[in-house]
Amino acid sequence: MLGVRDGDLFAFEQLVLRHQAEAWRVAYRFTGDAAEAEDLAQQAFLKVLDAAPRYTATAAFRTYLYQVVTRRCLDHRRKKRPVLMEVLPECATDAPTPGEEADAVERDQCIQSALAALPADYRMAVVLRYFEGLSAAEMAVAMGRSVKAVERLLARARDALAPRLELFRGKMR
Amino acid sequence: MDCPTAQTNLSAYLRGDLPLDQRSALVAHLRGCRICLVRLAAVDPLASVLVQTETPPVPSGFERRVLAAARSRRSQVVAVAWSPLRWWRMASAPMHAAAAAVLVVGLAAGLALGWAARPATRQAQEDSQAMALTTALAAYNLDYLGDAPGGSLADSYLALLTNRKGGRQ
Repeated sequence: MLGVRDGDLFAFEQLVLRHQAEAWRVAYRFTGDAAEAEDLAQQAFLKVLDAAPRYTATAAFRTYLYQVVTRRCLDHRRKKRPVLMEVLPECATDAPTPGEEADAVERDQCIQSALAALPADYRMAVVLRYFEGLSAAEMAVAMGRSVKAVERLLARARDALAPRLELFRGKMR
Repeated sequence: MDCPTAQTNLSAYLRGDLPLDQRSALVAHLRGCRICLVRLAAVDPLASVLVQTETPPVPSGFERRVLAAARSRRSQVVAVAWSPLRWWRMASAPMHAAAAAVLVVGLAAGLALGWAARPATRQAQEDSQAMALTTALAAYNLDYLGDAPGGSLADSYLALLTNRKGGRQ
């Protein structure tokens, strides 16, 4: 990051190669759309480049990147007109599927649509904890909230998701 | 990763406290081990569902597109708002040397010009005034005023004519 701060584009390229998966995963899990996710992840890296002269290494770069991507995603959601769904789309039935692969695809689609139906900050809390494995302290930095606030968000997100994902748990038993 | 290790790591995994490499190993294990997955479901049902999902890989060529955007953005920024400090940071060593050389030559030229145009010394000033007085007396046929006493009206007139400050004492 110090090289990037000095305007070294080669250092920036190394940074992108090393951390692109994290930025992409957060953006994809948040939006559920590959094109939108790529756009947001790209914006996040450009923001890192623009802000590099003012960057001070107070935490791991990974945490800083999560913070930038999270802000981009939440800002993007605020600007975008929300799609209101009175009833969540049907995604899983008891009908048998042709094979395990089809099951997995259906399960992933269902989870993604259940995530999409959550309020933006609940969804981001789930993404950062369950898909990225961040601790409460790291989530608090990324989301610009207190540790207690992110723990509350997570608890509410779990409550909101649980009924929707109950069927998968039943299949697992 | 074996089952006992995986089950020992479940709590840290759920708190988000596992290092990245151990986390990846545990996730890979959970996707293939039903026993450990059921253990996880007992503690956090949501985690047991979400851990089984796959995120698509980063789109191919993503880093190339980011870099292209960065280069284009950087050239736009330089064109719009040129900053000497930013230029200095981005310039190569030969450019630094060239800039330093231009600075030294500029300073040397400024010093030389300043030295050439420095104010005349007191002696040179007096000499030039005496020369101007002689020239004025000869040019305007004012020889008769040459012996005028210092401070007289005639002397003041001569002082005005030769640009001399004050009259002779």
